[in-house]
Amino acid sequence: MVTLLVLIGAGLFYLNFEYRWQPPKYPVIIAVSKTPLSSPFYVAKAIGAFDGTCVDVEFDEVVGGQRAFAKVMNGDADFGTSSDSVIAFKSLASRAFVTHAMFVQSDNDVKLITRASEKINSAINLKGRKIGVTKGTASEYFLSNLLALEGLTTEDVKLYHYKPEQLVNGFINNEIDTFVPWEPFGFKSAQLLHDIVKVHKTKGLNTLSFNLISAKADNLLVEKAKCVIQGLSIAIDYIASYPAKSKKIVMNELQLSAEFIDWVWPDYIFKLGLNQSLLLSVKSQAVWAIATQMSQFNEVPNVERFIDSRALLQVIPDAVSIPH
Amino acid sequence: MNISLLQRIFFFALSCCFLFVLLVGSVIWSSQSLDLAFSRDNYGQQLTNQTNKLKQLVANDNIYDSNYSLHQWQSLQLKLTSLLKLSPNLTVQQHTIQISLQSQNESLKSLFTLINKNKLKHASEAIKKHLKARLMIQLEAIRSDSLQLSAIAKKDIYNTMESEALFIISVSIASILALLLGAFSLTNIVRKSLNEVKRAFEENSGGDYQKIKLSHHSQEFDSIAEAFNHMNEKLSESTVSLTMMKKIVEDRTHVLEQLSNTDPLTKVANRRALFERANMEFSRAIRNKSKLTLLLLDCDLFKKVNDEFGHLFGDEVLTHICKICDQEIRDIDFLARYGGEEFIIVLPNCDIAGGIETANRIQHSLAKHCLSMDGKAISVTLSIGICMLNEQHKSLDELINDADKAMYLAKENGRNRIEVLPSPNLH
Repeated sequence: MVTLLVLIGAGLFYLNFEYRWQPPKYPVIIAVSKTPLSSPFYVAKAIGAFDGTCVDVEFDEVVGGQRAFAKVMNGDADFGTSSDSVIAFKSLASRAFVTHAMFVQSDNDVKLITRASEKINSAINLKGRKIGVTKGTASEYFLSNLLALEGLTTEDVKLYHYKPEQLVNGFINNEIDTFVPWEPFGFKSAQLLHDIVKVHKTKGLNTLSFNLISAKADNLLVEKAKCVIQGLSIAIDYIASYPAKSKKIVMNELQLSAEFIDWVWPDYIFKLGLNQSLLLSVKSQAVWAIATQMSQFNEVPNVERFIDSRALLQVIPDAVSIPH
Repeated sequence: MNISLLQRIFFFALSCCFLFVLLVGSVIWSSQSLDLAFSRDNYGQQLTNQTNKLKQLVANDNIYDSNYSLHQWQSLQLKLTSLLKLSPNLTVQQHTIQISLQSQNESLKSLFTLINKNKLKHASEAIKKHLKARLMIQLEAIRSDSLQLSAIAKKDIYNTMESEALFIISVSIASILALLLGAFSLTNIVRKSLNEVKRAFEENSGGDYQKIKLSHHSQEFDSIAEAFNHMNEKLSESTVSLTMMKKIVEDRTHVLEQLSNTDPLTKVANRRALFERANMEFSRAIRNKSKLTLLLLDCDLFKKVNDEFGHLFGDEVLTHICKICDQEIRDIDFLARYGGEEFIIVLPNCDIAGGIETANRIQHSLAKHCLSMDGKAISVTLSIGICMLNEQHKSLDELINDADKAMYLAKENGRNRIEVLPSPNLH
């Protein structure tokens, strides 16, 4: 009886201690790109995945990873979500930022949309066309890749630069015949213009990843990143276990239709990691950017210095497969 | 709750069985968990190997060569796809990686198809090199995922083994503690209860019929205590009867003794009692050199009374004489019927004068209190012989004999008289 009482007492003390001892909560602002690629963030917030961590998360929703990057660099946000293309381009500019973790990949996020009447069936048909892209992003990188398949370069086409949400307007206004948007603008354009446009099958040509970035991190920022990653990890496991519920959360958060989610979801690979794949991807994009004169810089930087694995190593050490 | 010892032993055995089953169950469970974790690890390793083969193929061969045979790639790719379809049951985290692996594989297939489309005849070397790097990146991504899957499985194996070892140690410690506690508790109950029963028996043998109060309750010992207490109750009841019986017997014995020493007619001591008491007084007088006087009384003409008034009246006369005598003697004096109409009064510490005085008082009282028969007063008289113990008396019989002689002298001298047998040296 005495033993039982002691055990119950110890249990109550432990629970009380657990209840009373809460780790410090750091308020963090994350510049989240308004795209389904940021699903882990929306799901994490919806299921309260950040609640048990050391961060009190506030989202600053932006359109496109570049703006998220800018917010982080301006100090308006602690963290941001940026594609590997943005990281590649920004690494060329030697900006003081780091990538803490890659959380999603898609090999079909960027689409090639042409005017159906133009009968464009292959990249070779793009020669001399007016093409709309978003400068310094995956959009531009994707187009240059596509052109290169047929021995063309961006010199062989007429490039027009638009903000991602403005691309379709350029098309409607006949300023361009072809444009290279990423989702959800690809889907929205197809839905808006129906038979007027042709969405080309380009799956596999380009892999886009979305990553958690911040300014060059001190120990406190690494601690915060660790907590953000903890929340993301919970959310990603939730997405794998409950895809339907997760889709619904993202639909509600981004005001998206079920059709759109079903359109993009199969292309998404939600997984936390810092691997050679990301390094190679960033590096090859940087090399490509220099080779195709997409960037004003000529020197390929050591991309490894833009990777900070300290936070992810504390959460999922197995997910880090790069030298650290 | 009153639990029997048998139930306790049963529960004890059942608890031991439960702990044993728990232990065996956990071993089975952990062996299954380990089996599953090993199969996951094996799965991850197979995927890694398969991916490595594909990587080697891409690294060694010129995939843009017009003579490049797709057969080997397709065969390895097919194997990888088939392998991905045969995944074992995975954990949530591994499931996330599995989905990633499947998607990465699809990307790999798409990318390879794109590369092999017309062998990129028009493409620049840069894009070819870039796409080949992409292919390697894709394979590297699959390899990383496979390694991660394998690492999780390895960690699971370690964790399962660690938790199982901890569980076995915990259950073993708990079992040993439970066994010790159970054994101690049982022994304690049995030992204490037995001691209490033993003490009760000991108290019983000492005539203290106390109830057993058990400090630990068990059905078995409670039933023993109940039966014992019931027996004690009965025993104490029957023991009270025995005491009473003893008293009755003592009373009866006393009555019988009285009866055996009492003359049934006159209710005074009989001849047997007379000799017993007289001998005692004789011995005491000799020992203490004290005085002892005997009066021998004989009812005068008693035969005539009997003949004239009947035997019943004769009996009444005898009773009356005794009553008178009893009234006139001291408490220490002893009256007994000597036989027929003769009585002896033993007067301890009494000399002749005292004897004469007593004899006179008796005669006077008898003369004063006559009996009546049909309204007619009938007077009876006594011839009294007195003799005091002297040196010549060697026995009680000689003293009685002297008193008898004195009494006959009184008879001869005219009845209703007192005669003393003179003694030369009185004490």
